[in-house]
Amino acid sequence: GPPSSLGGGGASGRRRVSPSHWRGGCGCVGKTSLVLRYCENKFNDKHITTLQASFLTKKLNIGGKRVNLAIWDTAGQERFHALGPIYYRDSNGAILVYDITDEDSFQKVKNWVKELRKMLGNEICLCIVGNKIDLEKERHVSVQEAEMYAESVGAKHYHTSAKQNKGIEELFLDLCKRMIETAQVDERARGNGSSQSGIARRGVQIIDDEPQVQSSGGCCSSG
Amino acid sequence: MLKLAEQCLERVKSIAAVLGKAQVKVAAQERGGGPAPLPRHRRVCSDEGGKLSPFLPPEIFQKLQIAEAQSARKYGGLGPGSWDTGAGTWEAQTQRTLSLQRQMMENLVIAKAREETLQRKMEERRLRLQEAANRRFSSSVALTPEEQEQRALYAAILEYEQDHDWPRQWKVQLKRSPADLSVVSGLFSCLLSCPEHPISQLLRRLQCAVYTRLYPAISRGPADASPASPSPGGRRLRASRSLHCMFSVPEHGPAALRHSQSSTPLADSSAPGPAEPPEPARESSFEDLERFLASPEGWAPADPPASSGQDTALPELLKGIVRDIHNAIDRLLALTLLAFEGLGTAAGKDHLTPALCCSAGPARHLRVCRGVLRHPGRPEPRHGRHVSAGATESTGREGRCGACGQPGIGAPVPVATMADGPCCHSGADDLLPILSYVVLQTGLPQLLSECAALEEFIHEGYLIGEEGYCLTSLQSALSYVESLPRGGEVIL
Repeated sequence: GPPSSLGGGGASGRRRVSPSHWRGGCGCVGKTSLVLRYCENKFNDKHITTLQASFLTKKLNIGGKRVNLAIWDTAGQERFHALGPIYYRDSNGAILVYDITDEDSFQKVKNWVKELRKMLGNEICLCIVGNKIDLEKERHVSVQEAEMYAESVGAKHYHTSAKQNKGIEELFLDLCKRMIETAQVDERARGNGSSQSGIARRGVQIIDDEPQVQSSGGCCSSG
Repeated sequence: MLKLAEQCLERVKSIAAVLGKAQVKVAAQERGGGPAPLPRHRRVCSDEGGKLSPFLPPEIFQKLQIAEAQSARKYGGLGPGSWDTGAGTWEAQTQRTLSLQRQMMENLVIAKAREETLQRKMEERRLRLQEAANRRFSSSVALTPEEQEQRALYAAILEYEQDHDWPRQWKVQLKRSPADLSVVSGLFSCLLSCPEHPISQLLRRLQCAVYTRLYPAISRGPADASPASPSPGGRRLRASRSLHCMFSVPEHGPAALRHSQSSTPLADSSAPGPAEPPEPARESSFEDLERFLASPEGWAPADPPASSGQDTALPELLKGIVRDIHNAIDRLLALTLLAFEGLGTAAGKDHLTPALCCSAGPARHLRVCRGVLRHPGRPEPRHGRHVSAGATESTGREGRCGACGQPGIGAPVPVATMADGPCCHSGADDLLPILSYVVLQTGLPQLLSECAALEEFIHEGYLIGEEGYCLTSLQSALSYVESLPRGGEVIL
């Protein structure tokens, strides 16, 4: 199909990323594993460099439109939190990952949601993801609580397991569809409002293959 | 992780060394009058890197540019001028025999007639091409000066292409494989290494114009680096600030920068003098970085009486220059699209600006960043490993920075556990600390301005991809380093 026209106008040429958290202690919520599983179908592959694990792309075909998804990982450490905006300022979507066995990681997700909504309003599609459902027995965040929270902030909630490759395709596909919709609504709204050549420089439109980015954020944290 | 970071650092250093060597080589070449393949003013500056005022006045800059262009000029083939030399030779021979003289007279007449025809034909051709150019820009009613200029340039390009074959060959190639990025970049390097082509002439003219505007700002010499009062927004990479750096530092070259920094009266005797070899202790470069970071307005004019007015004028001037550069890029782009229609296809266009910007330089640095990031393989299994005080000792470095008492990298770095358990890659959670470490250790304060320049001038197509991610990560690391409280602890 023809390349999708997500580029839209103005500042939307460049979209990307989001955050993640991380805290000392053991382990992480598995955001990187999630993305690696999705893009490379790899889990725990030792031959992947830090950069390779941080920036990944995936080509999709949604409704006949070619979509190039660029996934930016962001550092989750508290001390880098202030840098978030550099990463997510032009993103269309964010995935916030928590570990279902770690209540604290869920709290971190809430902080991120607050910040993203504050900075980007409703333009950004949010996904809240409870990862590690292979550890269902050790669950510390109740399904009901998580889903209610997600609904209350206009986000969608998903359950995944990077280890068992569960729920990941659906998550990304769903997010892509939502981002495309949002972009199209946006475009239409802008189309009415005539000239925007003033803002065009930053968001030069990309005609072919517009990547749309989104993030894998999420926390990486656990107790 | 430290190990990984060390690897990164090694890599940066080797790249920096290579780059440095290359610059030195070029500079030496220029001193020896050797030919410079491409007219680029960065070289001109690096040539002067060790002197106190490394910036040449615009006139000299222009002359150098022309000289470079001429030295790169390769001229072959017969022009109208060859008739003259031919005639001269004949003239000498006329004295020998009468018959030869007669012949020569005939030849002269023929030659003259030919020359006239040639001129007439050239004139006709020029007119024809001018018309072609006019047709191309059909809106001939009210032409803006820009349009007129573009028209003239287009005619010049057409004329050039009549005389030279290579643009046509490229066009054929372009037609054959319009999506091939290597063709586009090949075309560009060819285009820009040919100083006769109207596009490179325009490029040189624009470069010159920018340099002329920039010159008053930079010729005041390296400003003193005494910490100006940090403005509230000073922690971030602000536009005005990045503009300051964007122009002054890269052109300045590392050597001159060190010089400028260390010649300041900041109370530190250990600062290396300008004459010292570029091998001094790492602390000093760290220091430089610190000072650089500590003085967001470090490039304010040093002259106190003039400074009050110029303090505000300078950012404005630089903003204007940035606008100029953008305009210049747009103009070059438009002209190039006109000249090579094959580039007008969607794919070609997408690649065009990157290629154009590539040829302008910054992308090279981006590749450097990428090289740094790509290199390190994952170090040994590190599950649940605690890298902390003990491990950092292996770096063998002092714990504190000599200048400000800030703990250097060697100080205990509480890198808590990363990537615990077999389930995790930590991606950016590792990348950012590593980059921050590398930024501190490289002691290249111009990283900040390079990043700013990159962000300002590279094509969107780069910003959205892996290159953009690298750039953003590096900027984040820089912001993080910048945000460190003075005298506080460095936690990586």
